[in-house]
Formats: sequence, C-alpha cells, structure tokens
Amino acid sequence: MVHRPRSTVYLEGIMDNEIIFETKNLTKQFGALVAVDDVSIKVRKNSLHAIIGPNGAGKTTFFNLLSGNIEPTSGSVIFKGRDITHQPVHRTIHYGIGRSFQITNIFPNLTVFENIRLAAQALGRDNFKFWQAASQFKQYEARTLEVIEKVGLKDRAQTLARTLPHGDQRKLELGIILAPDPEVLLLDEPTAGMAAEQVPELIALIQDIQKAGDKTVMLVEHNMNVVMSVSDAITVMHMGKVLAEGTPSEIAANKEVQTAYLGGLYELNV
Amino acid sequence: MTQTSISTRTAFFAKHRASLGVLLLLILMPFIVGLFNGASPATVFVNGNGQSKFIQGLAIEIFILALYALSFDLIFGITGMLSFGHSMFFSVGAYLTGIAIKSFGLSLPATLGWLVIAAIIQALLFGMVLPRVKGITFALVTLGIASVFHIVVMSSELGPYTGSDVGLQGVIVPDFISPANERLRFYFIALTVLILVYLLYQRFVNSPTGRVCIAIRENEGRAQMLGYNTFYFKLAALTISSLTAALAGFLHTLYQPIVSPNTAGLGFTVTALLILLIGGVGTLNGALVGAVVFRLLDYGLRRYIGESASFISGAVYVLFVLFIPYGIVGTWRLKSFQIKQGWERLLGLFR
Repeated sequence: MVHRPRSTVYLEGIMDNEIIFETKNLTKQFGALVAVDDVSIKVRKNSLHAIIGPNGAGKTTFFNLLSGNIEPTSGSVIFKGRDITHQPVHRTIHYGIGRSFQITNIFPNLTVFENIRLAAQALGRDNFKFWQAASQFKQYEARTLEVIEKVGLKDRAQTLARTLPHGDQRKLELGIILAPDPEVLLLDEPTAGMAAEQVPELIALIQDIQKAGDKTVMLVEHNMNVVMSVSDAITVMHMGKVLAEGTPSEIAANKEVQTAYLGGLYELNV
Repeated sequence: MTQTSISTRTAFFAKHRASLGVLLLLILMPFIVGLFNGASPATVFVNGNGQSKFIQGLAIEIFILALYALSFDLIFGITGMLSFGHSMFFSVGAYLTGIAIKSFGLSLPATLGWLVIAAIIQALLFGMVLPRVKGITFALVTLGIASVFHIVVMSSELGPYTGSDVGLQGVIVPDFISPANERLRFYFIALTVLILVYLLYQRFVNSPTGRVCIAIRENEGRAQMLGYNTFYFKLAALTISSLTAALAGFLHTLYQPIVSPNTAGLGFTVTALLILLIGGVGTLNGALVGAVVFRLLDYGLRRYIGESASFISGAVYVLFVLFIPYGIVGTWRLKSFQIKQGWERLLGLFR
C-alpha cells in the first residue's frame, strides 16, 4: 500500500483527555497469519466509532485485543491514559469496558433476569457473602429491572435465555454489558443474524444509550446503511491493516475503500 | 404483628411440607421400625439389639454417603468441575480421624480442628492446578493427585499409622458416641450434621457466590467477561466441598472404626458420581435421594443375589442413564415443569 489516507477532520486538534481508547502498533500473529497488523487508532470520547472491513479483516481479533481476551504479539492498548495491554480478561469491565460478542455469548440455562443480575452483581462488593441469599441484595435486582426494561425484555424476565428468539438474545447480550454501566461499549456485530425489521430498533437503542449516557461505542457492523448513518468516525480494516479512517463522508468518498470493501457498488445517499 | 408472623409461619409450613414430613419420618423411624418388630420405644431408646438398631446403622451409612455425595455435587453439579480425585477429600478425613485418635490419642474436638486444617490444605492443593487446567485435564490432574495419595496410604512405610493395604483398624471411639452402645445418639448426630450441611449448601447455592459458581458452570468465559475472577469462586467451592467430605470421612471412621484403603481409590469417586447420576446432578436434593437409592440397591442386591450383585447394579445404572438421564430429582423437576406448562397452555385454549 503506497499511501494510507488519514482523516484530517475527525481527529484535528484533539486533546489527550478527549481520547478514551488508543492502540499503538497493535499486532497479533497466529502462526504465519498476521490477523492484526500494526494498527494504531485513536477513539474520541463519547463518539460512536465503527470498525468495518471485509470478512477476515481482523475486526473481531482487534476487539479481542482491546477487551483483553487475547494478548497481542506486540504493541499496546491504552485506555484513558493507562496501559491495559496485559491485564487479565476479568479486569476489563472493572476499567469500564463492556464487550459483546458476534456469536451470542450468554448463560443459556439461566433466566433473562439472572443473566443480567449476575452482570449487575459483578462489580459490587458482595460476591463472597455466601451466607446471605442473593435476593437480599436489592440494589442489584433494582438495577437488573432497570436494564431489562431499557432493552425491552420486561415480559421475558423469567424465560430461560436459550429459549429466547435470536433477536431477543442479542438484546439480552446488550443488557448484560449495560448492567455494570461501562464507559465504553465494544459491540461486535450487535445486529448479526437479526431479522431486518428488528435492526432499526436495536440501532436506535444503541444510539440512545450512547447519547443519553455519555458513552463511547465501538461498533463492528456489516450493514453499510447503519454504519454510514450512525457513526461519528469509521476505521476501515483490510487484511489486518488500517486501510482508511475518517468521517462517514470521507470514507464513502475514498476510492481505495470502495474497491477493497464496497466493491465500487455502494453509493452514499447524501 | 402477630397476625403476620402467624401467616408467615403457615406459609413456611405449607412451602416446606414435604421436607418437614421427611424430617419427621426420619426422627421417628427408629421407633417405628422397633414397633413393627415388637420392640417398645423404650427398648429402642436404650439401644437394645434388634431390627431397629440394624436399620439405624444402614441409615447412618446412607447419611454419610449423602454428605459425601453432596460435597461432590457442589464442585461437579454446581460449579461444573469434574474432579476424579474426590475420594481423597473423603479419605483424608477418614484416615486423619483414625490416626489422630489411635496413634496420637487426640480428643474429638482436637481431631476436628486438624481436620479443618487438612481439608483447607488439600483444597488449596487442588486449587493450585485450577488456573492451568480445565475440563477433562482437570479431571486427569485430580485423578493423579488422588492416586498419589492412594499409593502413599497403601505404602508399607506408613503401615504403623495407616495399616497399609489392610486398612486402619482398632480406632477406639469415645463411649458417648460409640456406634455399638449409643447407636441412636450417633444416628441423630449424623442426621443433624447432614441437615445442617444440606441447609448450608442450599444457602450457598442461592447466595451471590453460589450464583456465580452456577454461571461458571454455564459459561466460564462469559463469567470472566462479566468481571468475575473465576479462580476464587472455584476455590471457594472446592474448600467448602473439601470440608464437607472430610466431615463425612470423620463420621465414617467413628461409625465403622475401620478405614479401608478403598475409600482413597478411584472406585469411591465413581460411587459419588453414580449417586449423583441416580439422584440428579446439580440439584442437591439429588445427592440425598441418590444416596438412599444407591445404598439400598447395593444392600438389597448383595443380600438377595449375592455374588452377581455388581453385574445387576451395573445394568441398573445403565438403565438409569438411558431412561432417567437427569436423575430422579432432575427428571422430576423437568417433568413437573413441563406438565405445569402443558396445563397452562391447555387451559389457555379455553379461556
């Protein structure tokens, strides 16, 4: 790649304290395959930052590196000025980073309520009070009900998670990461496998959460209309590398992106 | 005020009617069995020989087995760790009790004190491998640790203490709890211990800690992503389980006064596994029901069939796994849930 166009508008004059997430030369190798290759990005606080790219571009691996599920071969991850590269995965949420998965990752044999209650309890100080019943900790139950209502699963609270329809499972997963009220949400294809008519509802919910709660959302998404309409910034990945980054209009106008990913077929409706 | 306390009390009785009924039956059982065989309650009360005393003995064995199976259910059924070294948890308790009383002449409270220390140490020993191995590897590593213990117990160097392959014999049990002369007292002590442990376990499973243990069984990766350091929860489950199994071993030694090296072998771990498969894995009640069925089946077959008993019992276990895959309690819960749902759907049609 001869030149790598970088956004001028999006990160112009950004102060250090406005950057919530930063990666420096992040690289992950699986044997001979370089899944994530020298990725350095900056994510602005309270923005909705989308990561797009063709299949196998390394988006999910990149998310796994951010959330600490895997360790990078080299490079570092900086969250609010703090190096969290080598922290174990269970610390991630304590820093304020919530992570959802492309393949639904819930507790299938527990009820919706219990799924979210466990998430609400996690950051409290009552995890080892084994002589008290869990139902005595009303603060977690209250938080659970609040979250269940927000993601629209109120009628399903006592249903076993595995018997939920797929769309509701995606909502449950969103609920699980909302419960501890993290600052950053890493959403890996939140609409994957959802029926087309359910997608706008979920996207509106995500936007609402981001705007109302002053949260930063990082999103991997394949639905181009969604990405173009909701994002503040987009990073395009291709073969593990950053191909381009910038605002939606910059990305849509980028010839290189169009050939690599959009296949020259996508036209921006502005 | 009194009104509410009365109504909550009625609600309590209504909710736990079945359990309280079983408890009452267990308390009265020695006397009822005595009456059937023409022994007056007074005879039973002073531990006269007879059918009642024999049944009490069988019941004590069942209580100890149930205690042991409960402890296995906590780590296997609730937390989802398949340990093949669980018999070690039991036999450490059993051997330590025997050695402390026989070789060192310790009193029972002192023995119990040492038991707690030993149980915590062995839980930590198992815990040491926890962060490194999962699933089937954990099963194999625990099997390895327990096998080493089995070999150590059988070794002739430790013969003076453990009795090597003959087993630990000749433990002098204090008179007030002697299973020969004070069996009714022993019966009630064992029953009380079992009930207390069972209630503690019920509470643990419903506590914040126990709920996380269940989450670990369901999806450990997700539990970590929620922010739980799963190692500590597994270690907590292991420690409580180890303490319970050691307590079961303690009662075993006092009741039998003999400790066979078989209690340290793989076979005894499989016993716990079988009890749970019969009763229902991860249900707690299943451990109790399973222990009753297992011991009675074993006893009945041995008595009436003799040599080929293990062949028949093996066949019975296979039938259990084939036709009652969730165990007695597990299948019962599933069916009653399905029947309830079916009824609601049926009634919904006419509404």
